[in-house]
Amino acid sequence: MERGAKLYGTGDTTVRALDGIDVAFERGQFTAIMGPSGSGKSTLLHCIAGLDSLTSGQVFVGDTELNTLSDKDLTLLRREKVGFVFQAFNLIPTLTARENILLPLLIAGDDHDSAWFDQVVGILGLSDRLSHRPSELSGGQQQRVAAARALVARPEIIFADEPSGNLDSKASAELLSFLARAVKEFGQTIVMVTHDPGAASYSDHVVFLEDGKIAGELNAPTAESVIDRMKQFGG
Amino acid sequence: MIRTALKTIFAHKLRLALTAMSVVLGVGFIAGTFIFTDTIDNTFSDLFEDVFQGQDVIVQGEAEFDVGFSGPPPIADTVLDTVLAVPGVEAAEGSVGGFAVISDKNGEAIVPTGPPTLGGSWTTDERLTGNITLRDGRAPMGSDEVTVDAATAGDNDLAVGDVVQIQTPMGVNDYEIVGVVGFGESDNLAGATFAGFDLATAQELFDMQGQYSSIVVLAEDGVSPELLSTAIATALPEGIEAVTAADEAEDQSEALQESLGFLRTALLVFALVAVFVATFIIQNTFRIIVRQRQRELALMRAVGATPSQVVWMVVVEALLIGVIASAIGILFGFLVAGGLTSAMSAAGFDLPSSTAPLAVRTIVIGLTVGIIVTVLSALLPALRASKIPPVAALQDTEVTLRMSDRKRTLGGAVGLVAGAALIGSGLAGNELGPINELLSVGIGALFIFLSVSLLSSLIVKPVARFLGWPLPKIDNLTGTLATENTIRKPRRTATTASALMIGLALVAFFFILGDSIKASAGSAIEEGLRADYVVSVDGFSGGFSPALGEDLAGRPEISAVTSLRFGFWDRDGNDEFLMAVDTTTIDETIFLDVQQGSIAALGDGGVFVFDEIAKDEGWVLGDTVAMGLATTGLQQVEIVGTYAESNVVQANFLVGQDFYAENFSGFGTDVDFVLAVKAADGVASDTAREVVEGAAAGYGNVTVRDQVEYRQSQEDQVNTILVMFNALLALAVIIAIFGITNTLALSVFERTREIGLLRAVGMSRRQVRRMVRWEAIIVAIIGSILGIVVGLFFGVAVTAALASQGIDVLSIPAIQIVGLVLFGAVAGLVAAILPARKASRLNILEAIAYE
Repeated sequence: MERGAKLYGTGDTTVRALDGIDVAFERGQFTAIMGPSGSGKSTLLHCIAGLDSLTSGQVFVGDTELNTLSDKDLTLLRREKVGFVFQAFNLIPTLTARENILLPLLIAGDDHDSAWFDQVVGILGLSDRLSHRPSELSGGQQQRVAAARALVARPEIIFADEPSGNLDSKASAELLSFLARAVKEFGQTIVMVTHDPGAASYSDHVVFLEDGKIAGELNAPTAESVIDRMKQFGG
Repeated sequence: MIRTALKTIFAHKLRLALTAMSVVLGVGFIAGTFIFTDTIDNTFSDLFEDVFQGQDVIVQGEAEFDVGFSGPPPIADTVLDTVLAVPGVEAAEGSVGGFAVISDKNGEAIVPTGPPTLGGSWTTDERLTGNITLRDGRAPMGSDEVTVDAATAGDNDLAVGDVVQIQTPMGVNDYEIVGVVGFGESDNLAGATFAGFDLATAQELFDMQGQYSSIVVLAEDGVSPELLSTAIATALPEGIEAVTAADEAEDQSEALQESLGFLRTALLVFALVAVFVATFIIQNTFRIIVRQRQRELALMRAVGATPSQVVWMVVVEALLIGVIASAIGILFGFLVAGGLTSAMSAAGFDLPSSTAPLAVRTIVIGLTVGIIVTVLSALLPALRASKIPPVAALQDTEVTLRMSDRKRTLGGAVGLVAGAALIGSGLAGNELGPINELLSVGIGALFIFLSVSLLSSLIVKPVARFLGWPLPKIDNLTGTLATENTIRKPRRTATTASALMIGLALVAFFFILGDSIKASAGSAIEEGLRADYVVSVDGFSGGFSPALGEDLAGRPEISAVTSLRFGFWDRDGNDEFLMAVDTTTIDETIFLDVQQGSIAALGDGGVFVFDEIAKDEGWVLGDTVAMGLATTGLQQVEIVGTYAESNVVQANFLVGQDFYAENFSGFGTDVDFVLAVKAADGVASDTAREVVEGAAAGYGNVTVRDQVEYRQSQEDQVNTILVMFNALLALAVIIAIFGITNTLALSVFERTREIGLLRAVGMSRRQVRRMVRWEAIIVAIIGSILGIVVGLFFGVAVTAALASQGIDVLSIPAIQIVGLVLFGAVAGLVAAILPARKASRLNILEAIAYE
């Protein structure tokens, strides 16, 4: 993202959710975006994922510049080049786990690579859960289905918005280590928004955000180093 | 938060509008019916006031029985002297009236649809003409002059000095128009055409030499009409009455209102169907609202609201919708009334464009029905709402408060059996206490509809799966999602589909009944009609001059002509229909399938009774039927035969023409209604037809048909009625379509996050729209299928019950039935337009962040 700015409102009440941000997420890296509430981290994620548009500045996914895209092209971009894992309500309740995983491909009407599908499902431990509906799955299983969905279409980048926010520590650890593994073993690019230093410690790189600006970065983070860093913000 | 709140209110507004719409349409139909019939009532009472303006007392024959069509016998012209001799009479004049069809310049008969074609004598004494005034020219004098009403003249470019053909019971003759007449401010008498002759000519044309239809009397200044009528009455011979003009105007107006009562009832039945459909929509809406507000309501309970307060909350909303929607509905009634008026005028019934003032009764009934229906429909969901436990406020899961499937099955099954029993009993003609057979059938149908609606939620799943089965192949994911969405809330889908079912079931029923009537009549006409040609009157002009029949009977190419005339008589207080036939020729032209007695005996008087009726009544040959006749009073008429084939004569009672001539008088009783014409042996059909056509050519208001054409014309009549019924059902279907829209809109609102997620992972707006559309189509087709199944049941039951009435062939019109399914699909598509657009335009971010 180059000089990305996102403004809400006008005049005195203008809120600068993103205040001229330059940030890049390297291919094949697991990046965590951290920051206190209202720091603009979710807005940043939405803008680079093509869910929201910038007031000014540019966003690239690979070589594609998002600002110039029509709604139709953005839809195609999300379908083909981007994967999502949200904090909650990731799955369509009327579809089985298998259908939910294949959702982007089903929407596109594409065939899937069944060897890849089996591999992803196997790693996530979902093989015997494929015919279940979301309501029959535990919270951790539901998030793993969402992660599988994000991976199976082999997108250029996966965006995860507090993916472990609703999970207990064990399920949370399982999910995060899987995401980290996807980056290491399959070369997947993942950008995750979180406020949990523990979650951030699974990433390769942390970008700190405060008041819509980049407040710092950290490589090879641990929970402790993240907490130390956050203390510097006084938040 | 504020944005979400505003969104909720906006969604609320749409929901309110759509819910209210169903009430508005239903109440509008009811109010429109009243406004429309009130308008007709007003028109006619104004008209009769106009006609009797300037007259104080009317002297006429006294009818013991008040039946449709025929009237009291004419009075002798000597009565006029008696009347003139009564003190207090300023002026009096006798008049005659009858049947007269005016032709235009091209010789085409001017026949309004509905209103009669009247002829009458011109009242010469200007003191007695009242509002009937000459707009142009002068009064008719002599046997070849006529006045015509201003509307007939204006519409057909006729003016004083033109010569026109006029058909009367005496035949067709040329007359010169010498005057154009207006009736007060009106150009005609409620659409009727009117030809005025001088008295002597009129008496001759209507075969009333030395007779009057009535005598109009003007009282001297200061003499009250009431007193004068009493004075005249005492002077009159028996069988003749004197009534004040005001009373007579009211009587005639009331008689007309009574016959309009049928129209009002019929329209109200269709209006009630629409209201019934609306209850489904309202109930469904409130159920969804309660479900969506579950947490809010539970919170109310948690902070101390009593269950009854929760009920009250929901009911108050319903009450508000009910009041507002009913009020709008009453106003909408004016539009409905306008629509009915234009429909009538398209059919040829010209009514004034002004509408009657809104009667208090219309307002009261409209509001009452609207409010009661809305509140009652919301009551069940409200009661369910009160059962939401306070703990639901803390949980995200949905509390199911549905009736168990077992209770549902049981209730539905009991309802089905009860409904079928009521229909069966009603169709068999049984009365259950105060409930007559028609009401019994109606209540039975209501039970069936409710039960099917109750049971249908059980079959929604398999049916939707079946219907949705090909969808993934055409439209992979959106099809699958749409199918699954219809199954998610089976009760919701079932109620929405049921609303559509009601209208379409009745449409399917009418299709089946109509087709069966056509098939039965078709085969019966083949058997029953021996005549080669049928000459029948166009529209409702009453008949045509017997001169045509006489002319044809005299032709060598024709072997037999049978004339048919119809009439009504009083059978134990109800009007009963009969047909008068030529007993000497009917054997050659119409097959009656005589069971007992002989046609020859009918020629000497007596009556033939349809076999089924005779069996039902236990009548045998030699028994007498008490016939109350308007002209000759109560007559004990001997049964001289029974017959089993009534499809051509279309009556359950037959009399001879001589009996008819003696016992029936008044407008239209001296003209023929239908002629059945048999060509002589060896005459080529072309030649015979030419002869018949040639003879009929001078009579502008008749059509000659051969057997095939006659059969077709009977089918056309059935088709016309079908179109009319289906048009009246349209409102019920439209309400149901609104219902689908409403339910979909609410469902889309409920699935905001889900749609947001689908959009986020790459579903295009188009695909979202398609998903909503498929869902609507599936729901609508379920409704159509349910409707067809119920319609089939009604059709089979009613046809079976009418088998003895000659409808003995059950015919199911496959094309129309398939058409109904297609119609359902299109209805679904239309219903989905708004919700689909709404769904596709959801902002993804807000959708994900929703709640």
